[in-house]
Amino acid sequence: MENAITFSIVGSGGDGAVVAGDLIAMACAARGLHVMKTEAYGPQIRGGESSSTVRISSAPLVAPAESNDALVVFRFADFARFRSEMALSPDCVVFHEPNDPPPAELAALRCIAVPFGELAREKNMVAIGILGAMFDIPGDEIRAAIKKRFRKKGETVIEANLKAFGVGQAFQPASLGRRLESLRYTGTPHLLMSGNEAAAFGALHAGCTFFAGYPITPSSEILHFLSDWLPRIGGACVQTEDELAAIGAVVGASFAGAKAMTATSGPGLSLMAEMLGLSSIAEIPSVIVDVQRGGPSTGIPTKSEQSDLFHALYASHGDTPRVVLACCDVEDAFHTTVDAFNIAEEYQLPVIVLSDQLIGQRRETVDAASLVHDVVQRRIALPVDEYKRYAYTEDGVSPMTIPGIEHGMYQTNGLEHDELGRPSSMYVVHEQMNDKRHRKLDAIADRYRLFRRFGAEHPELGILCWGSSAGTVREAVERMNGMGASVAAFVPRILAPLPASELQAFVDQCERILVVELSHAAQFHRYLRSEIDLPRGRTAVLARSGGKTLTVSEVMAAAVEKVMA
Amino acid sequence: MNANDFKSDLKPVWCPGCGDFAVLNSVYRALAAAGCAPHETVLVSGIGCSSRLPGYVETYGFNSLHGRALPIAIGAKVASPRMTVVAVGGDGDGLAIGGNHFMHAARRNVDIAYIMMDNEIYGLTKGQAGPTTPTGDKTKSTTYGNPDPAIDPCALAISLGASWVARGFSGDVKGTTELMTRAIRHHGFAFLNILSPCVTWRGEEQHKELRAKTRAIPADHDVTSREAALRFTGEHDVLTTGVLYEVARPTLLDELAQIERRARGSAPPPTRDQILQLFQMR
Repeated sequence: MENAITFSIVGSGGDGAVVAGDLIAMACAARGLHVMKTEAYGPQIRGGESSSTVRISSAPLVAPAESNDALVVFRFADFARFRSEMALSPDCVVFHEPNDPPPAELAALRCIAVPFGELAREKNMVAIGILGAMFDIPGDEIRAAIKKRFRKKGETVIEANLKAFGVGQAFQPASLGRRLESLRYTGTPHLLMSGNEAAAFGALHAGCTFFAGYPITPSSEILHFLSDWLPRIGGACVQTEDELAAIGAVVGASFAGAKAMTATSGPGLSLMAEMLGLSSIAEIPSVIVDVQRGGPSTGIPTKSEQSDLFHALYASHGDTPRVVLACCDVEDAFHTTVDAFNIAEEYQLPVIVLSDQLIGQRRETVDAASLVHDVVQRRIALPVDEYKRYAYTEDGVSPMTIPGIEHGMYQTNGLEHDELGRPSSMYVVHEQMNDKRHRKLDAIADRYRLFRRFGAEHPELGILCWGSSAGTVREAVERMNGMGASVAAFVPRILAPLPASELQAFVDQCERILVVELSHAAQFHRYLRSEIDLPRGRTAVLARSGGKTLTVSEVMAAAVEKVMA
Repeated sequence: MNANDFKSDLKPVWCPGCGDFAVLNSVYRALAAAGCAPHETVLVSGIGCSSRLPGYVETYGFNSLHGRALPIAIGAKVASPRMTVVAVGGDGDGLAIGGNHFMHAARRNVDIAYIMMDNEIYGLTKGQAGPTTPTGDKTKSTTYGNPDPAIDPCALAISLGASWVARGFSGDVKGTTELMTRAIRHHGFAFLNILSPCVTWRGEEQHKELRAKTRAIPADHDVTSREAALRFTGEHDVLTTGVLYEVARPTLLDELAQIERRARGSAPPPTRDQILQLFQMR
């Protein structure tokens, strides 16, 4: 990604660091550039540290920024909190307040003092004026973004911000140097959306008419979006008293015939475990989006991790068939959510979508034309004589009615039950019903072989990863292959049931394997070991805690140190 | 429809003499009296002896998880407003493990009837103290006497905002049927607490004691007065049956319909492109 640029803006809450990043991202998206914008926050509600990182490129972007070409710091005390999560390139330009000198470790970089606060009250606008000029981002596009963003705040606010932006543009520190002629403006505007918005839009696309949820970081934007849009399409959005009730209402609504979804993060998914079991045994479709954050317990609410995998795979007591999907990027959050509805509705079971903070809360350019996906409708049975809700069938899927259908009445149950839904504690019924419910997974594994494979056709090194790690791994693979290596990656987008035969075939064709994940306990590696055969002595693992975005150089270093060595 | 049309062919697992048989009888009669069609009726329960009830009624039924009948009932009602949705269960199910949902269902005035069969004990798990067990009672889990005060479910429902609250006694099938019929017909969250003796864990005497204590609510009671209604809660020596409280206020479905009007006005549903405009930067 030679023709990509990256900058970060760091400040305290109220400094407008995040808004500043948004505005440049909006301007670039409008001009047909590709953008990936991530945010990071401290734990405070207001006034805490926040940062916004924008990566811009004329070619499609697959991974978040590696290191910064420019950095705006309103307060170095805030920067210190992000220091371990932020890399700076050797020729990075640092802008800072004159009375807040940079720490010694930044002395080698070009540091330029800018009296942001003195120049204007809207110091974030001054910053984007400077950055816009530095990186040659069209000023009219940024001005349009400012007008769009502050539309609801009125003319006075817009004028003040435009004025401060102009001050920044005019503030030209001597010999700033780098202008990026390589950024090509195609002129075809992209959509700019977050993973949470993409998932919520995916739900609408899939025909979701019922959402119940409880606020939780970093998934709440899904609740917000659907609270806004579901009533407009005649659907309903209910904010419940807790996650137990959220998933309960989803199961109730789905029983009554609605396509229904909830969204949460790890702590909420922990509470939903009991309903996963009910949705599974009662064979009622449900869709749960888990936007992962650092765990366990309350963990790190504002930062990404891939450590809910085991919980998604195994939560709930008993033998509980469920499907687990994982999205790789913002656009994929849309497709994965639609797939989740399709599978849930057709196979009558719970489907969990694993997203994470890095996908859910980052904004990324997406093409409207790619946001299309076939939608499966629920098949509703219209029985005429004796109706067996839980009839044994070849693929395990039994005819389902919904309340209101005259000859379709049945009782559903969290108790083990017979074909009619009547409670039963007989071994033979339990065995047959378990078998029927698990047969659905075979049918799904056959139909939904969702994975991405990229890189060399006959690789020496094969990388296995999932979810938001995929983009970074992809860029690492491309870079390594560009340097003459032979690397490929396999990324399952369905984690349960795994596309095991394709995965095994990939592993078998590689000399060496590297598993990459943001879970300190290496949950993905352990899961793979239970599902497929990894080559003994030739498999290495890069598994570390979340809280810091996985970087391309990290993956490359692991490939060299742990595998090639 | 008559009461017999609502009988399923499943035989109750309850102990002989259980008060829930009489409640079940009232359910058959009340559904018929309220004019419900079996296929347009949804009975939802949690877990417990009384939560087995939906299986014995010929409607759509959902015997769900311990404490979770109300969230499921809410989801079903919002998704399919045409259905009559009735939640049933015991005191432990609704006041202990499901207590939080009770609070919010009442506050939201969800359009369902909630029938609580209150036997003052955990029966299915064989005799532990529950949230309505009187203080001092010795049960299997309170060997030296129950340390906790009992909750009066009706007091709770009234204070939480339920728009219809009544108390019944299972031994009075006629009275209970009338109350249940009104609960089903009520527009909003109707809570009916039915004292339903557990002969196995509360003893043969519970039935007689309850009958002796029962008295009808005075004819001149003002059901619209929360203050007056609360005077018939927390009783010890008597057990007042009848409608304690009844007011009209907007239900959850009323509110959701309002929200739909506010969100959309008279405009047609948005197209895909209209939604995507939100993400267009030009």
